[in-house]
Amino acid sequence: MEGIKNWADLSPAQKREERYKKWLAAPGVKFKNKEAENLYKERVTRFIKALKMEEPDRVPCMLPTGYFPAYYAGYDLKTVMYDYEKQRDAWMKFMDDFGDMDTFGGPGLVLPAPALEMIDHKTHKWPGHGVADNVAAYQFVEAEYMKADEYDKLIMDPSDFWLRTFMPRQAGAFEPLARLPHLTAFIGIPIFFLGRFADPEIQQAYKTIFKAGEEIIKWQETIGVVAREAIERGYAGFSGGFSGAPFDMLTDMLRGTRGIFLDMYRQPEKIHEAMDRLVPLVIQEAVETADMAMAPIVMMPLHKGERSFMSPKQFEEFYWPSFKKVLLGMIEEGLVPMPFAEGNYIPRLEIIQDMPRASMVWYFEFMDMARAKATVGRNNCIAGNLPISTMVTGTPRAVKEGCRQLIETCAPGGGYILSAAASMDQGNIENLHAMMDAAKEYGVYKK
Amino acid sequence: MFTRPDDWAKLTWQQKRDLRLDRWINGEGIKFDSPEAEKNYKARATRLAKAVKMEIPDRVPCAVPTGWFPAMNAGVTLKEVMYDTEKMKWAWLKFVDEYDSDTFDGTLFFQAPVSDILDSRTMKWPGHGLPDDSHSAYQYVEGEYMKADEYDIFMKDPLDFQLRYYLPRTMGIFEPFADVPSFSSFEGLPQRLMVMAQDPRFQKFMKAIQEAGKHVPALQKADYETSQAAYAKGFPAFRGGLAVAPFDAFADNLRGTHGMVMDMYRQPEKIHEAMEFVLPELLNGAVSMADMTDCPVIMMPLHKGDDTFMSNKQFETFYWPTFRRLLLDMVEEGLIPFPVAEGAYNNRLEYISDMPKSSVVWMFEHTDMANAKKTVGKVSCIAGNIPVSTAYTGTVEDMKEACRRLIETCAPGGGYILSGGSTFDMAKPENLHAMMDAAKEYGVY
Repeated sequence: MEGIKNWADLSPAQKREERYKKWLAAPGVKFKNKEAENLYKERVTRFIKALKMEEPDRVPCMLPTGYFPAYYAGYDLKTVMYDYEKQRDAWMKFMDDFGDMDTFGGPGLVLPAPALEMIDHKTHKWPGHGVADNVAAYQFVEAEYMKADEYDKLIMDPSDFWLRTFMPRQAGAFEPLARLPHLTAFIGIPIFFLGRFADPEIQQAYKTIFKAGEEIIKWQETIGVVAREAIERGYAGFSGGFSGAPFDMLTDMLRGTRGIFLDMYRQPEKIHEAMDRLVPLVIQEAVETADMAMAPIVMMPLHKGERSFMSPKQFEEFYWPSFKKVLLGMIEEGLVPMPFAEGNYIPRLEIIQDMPRASMVWYFEFMDMARAKATVGRNNCIAGNLPISTMVTGTPRAVKEGCRQLIETCAPGGGYILSAAASMDQGNIENLHAMMDAAKEYGVYKK
Repeated sequence: MFTRPDDWAKLTWQQKRDLRLDRWINGEGIKFDSPEAEKNYKARATRLAKAVKMEIPDRVPCAVPTGWFPAMNAGVTLKEVMYDTEKMKWAWLKFVDEYDSDTFDGTLFFQAPVSDILDSRTMKWPGHGLPDDSHSAYQYVEGEYMKADEYDIFMKDPLDFQLRYYLPRTMGIFEPFADVPSFSSFEGLPQRLMVMAQDPRFQKFMKAIQEAGKHVPALQKADYETSQAAYAKGFPAFRGGLAVAPFDAFADNLRGTHGMVMDMYRQPEKIHEAMEFVLPELLNGAVSMADMTDCPVIMMPLHKGDDTFMSNKQFETFYWPTFRRLLLDMVEEGLIPFPVAEGAYNNRLEYISDMPKSSVVWMFEHTDMANAKKTVGKVSCIAGNIPVSTAYTGTVEDMKEACRRLIETCAPGGGYILSGGSTFDMAKPENLHAMMDAAKEYGVY
C-alpha cells in the first residue's frame, strides 16, 4: 500500500490494520458536516469490529438493495442501463428517502448498455437486449470462450490470450484483435506487430473502442457522483473490489460448465496448470484494485464449488486448493476477502473453516447459519442470509422476525453482519427498513 | 506457406526436413524470369541442401555475406536507404544483377521512419544517433530493460510485462503504459482499454501507432517485391527466419551484459527458470517463420556464449543446455538451425559437436576452421570465415588465396559453405567477385 513505510516487513494483521486505518480515516473525503463524519466513523468502526471478531456497539447490517433504487424511483433496470441521469437520480433519491443505513451500495453493477451495444458485447444478455424489457437481471451467456486445446495459450502468456483469443470472442468489435500477431521481446523490434495497426479493420476496432470509451466515462462519472455523495453524507463504502476463485474464472468465463466438467476427466492436469497460472494474477489484480479503493474488502462471488455442481472430493481436488491460495495471498497483503457462497455451501463448511483468525468474511446464501457459526464462524466473521423470498414477498414483520432469529444465532461474541441471501431488486421499501430496525433493536451488544 | 501432411507426427526429423527442403528447392510459388533462372535457382538450392546434409555437392556453395554492401555498391548512404524503401529496393536489385552468389541474403530492411515515430531508444542508426554518412548500419543500445527483480513479473504475464515495463523503457511512445495497472485481469480488460482510449496520452500513442502502421505496408511490400525479384532471378534465400539462444534472449534484450553477469552469481536459478520459460516460445516463433517463408533454415546470431564472455563452466551451465534443447526441438520439427557464432568459439567446439549428424549448420567468425573441421565439422556442416579485413583491404589475390585455404581445410568430404566471418558491408567490389571465382575454381568436388 502506498505511503506506508516498511510495508513488506509488516505481518498480514498489521497490513490489515493499516488498511482499516485508511478506511476509517477516509483520506480526501470532505464530509458534509461533523455529524456525517461521526456517522461514517461509527459505521466503519462497527464493520471493522465485526470483521475482527470483536463485539461492536451493535450488529452491522448490509441491506440487500441491489437494483432496488431503480424500481423504487419508478424506473427499471433497462431504463437506468441506458440513461445515466435517471440512474444517478434514482440512487440519489433512495439515499435521500431511506435515511440511516450502515453502508450504501451504488449503481456500480448497472452496466452501461450503450457501450455494450457499441462493442457488440456477446457474453451477457440484458433487459431489452436478449431478455425481456422488464427483467431485473442480466443473463450470462455461457459458452466455450476458450477451447479445450487452448489452455496453453492462457498458460504461456495470459494478457496475450485475453487480447487476441478471448476478447475477439467476447465482443464483435474486438474481433479484428485476433489478427494481431504475438508480440515477443526476444527479437528486438515490434515493427511487424505495429504494422497490423494499419489494417483497416483494426483501425475500425480502435474507433469503436474509443467511442464506447466515451460512454464508459460518462457512466463512471455517474457512479463517481453517487459514490462521492454517499460517503460525504457519512455512508460507509464496503467494497474494495471484486475477485473470484480460479476454478470459477476458468469455468464461468472461459470453458463453460460443460467444458470444464469434461476437462476434469480428460485433462485435469491442464486445469491445475491454468489455475496455478491464474492464482498470482488474481491476487495481484485484487491488491491493485483495493489499493485504489477506500475499503479493503474484496467481494468474491462463488459459483461452481457449490454442492450440486461437484462432489466433496472434486471440491477438495479442483476448487479449494487454488481458491485457498488466492484467499491467503490476499490476506497476506492485508485485504479482507469476502467470498459470497452462492447456492448451498453446507457440505463445504468443514473444509473451508481452516483459515487465519479474523482475516476474512464468509457471506452465505443457502446455509444452516448455526452450523456456519459453529465452524467457519468460530474463526471468522460470517454474513447472511435472510431468504430473498421473505424479503420480496414477506411482511415487514416477517422480515424483522427472520432477522431476529439470525442475530440470535450468529451475533453472540461478535463476528456477524446481518444481510439477506441475495439482493431485493423489486419489493417493498418497508422490508428494508424492517431489516435495519431489527439490527438496531435486536443487534445491540450489552457492555 | 508450408503445410504438413497428415502423417507428420510419424515422420523422422530427416523426413520432415526433406519435405521442407523439397518445397524450398522447388521454389514453389516463384515466378522465375526464365527457364535458366529456374535451373540456376534449383542448382544453387540443391548445392546448399547437399552441403547442409553433409553430402557432396557439385562444388562448395558460396554465400556472399551481403550485409549493407548493396548500398555502398549503388553509391547511396545507409541513411538514404533506411529512409527510402524505393531506393533500398533499387540498390538491392542492382546488387543481385551485378554479383553472383549461391544465396540471396535478404533486404535487411530497417524502417527508420517507423523507429523515429516510435521513438526507439534501443537503436541508433544513421541520422538518429549515428552520423548521416555512418558506415555502420545500427548500434544497439544495451541496457537493463528488465530489472533484476522483474524476472517473475516477466514470467507471470509476458505481454503485460512488455506493455508496462519493457516497451515504456525502450520506445518513447509507450511511456504512458508505465503508469497503468496490470492487463492481467480479463474481467476488467475491455473496459480498461475503452477508458484508456479517452486519455489524451493514449490518443497520442494510438495516433503514433497508426502513423507508424501506415509506413509498414510499404516496407513489407518493398521487402516482398525485392525478395521475390531476387528469387525470380535464380537466387534462393538461405534464411527462413531468425531465432536466438535462450541465454541471449535475456542477456541481449532484457538484462544487458552487466545485469546478466550479476544474475549468474546472485540469482542463477532465476536465469534458468526464465530460460525454460521462453524455450517453447522461441521454438514456436522459429517454426511459424519457417512455415511462412517456406525455407527451413533458421539463422541464429549468437552473442554471449563466445569465448571471451564466459568460462567453459559457465557455458555448460548457463548457455549450452537450453540452447542445445532449442536446437534439438527445431531439428525435430524439420528445421535447419543455422547458428552464427559471432566472436570466437574455439573453446566450445567439443560441446557443440554433441548434436545429431548433419542436423545443424554452424557459421563461424573468428574460430579456427581447421579445429572446427576436426570437431564439430565431423557432425555438422560448417560455414565461414573469410576475414572482413581481407575483403575490405586485401587484393583480389589475397581474397582468392584466403578462400582457397578455407576450401582446402574445410571442404574435403563435403559439409562446407564458403562465406565471410561477418558481413562485407564495405568490401572492395572486386573481392566479392573473387570470392565466387574461388568457389568455382577451387571448390569443385
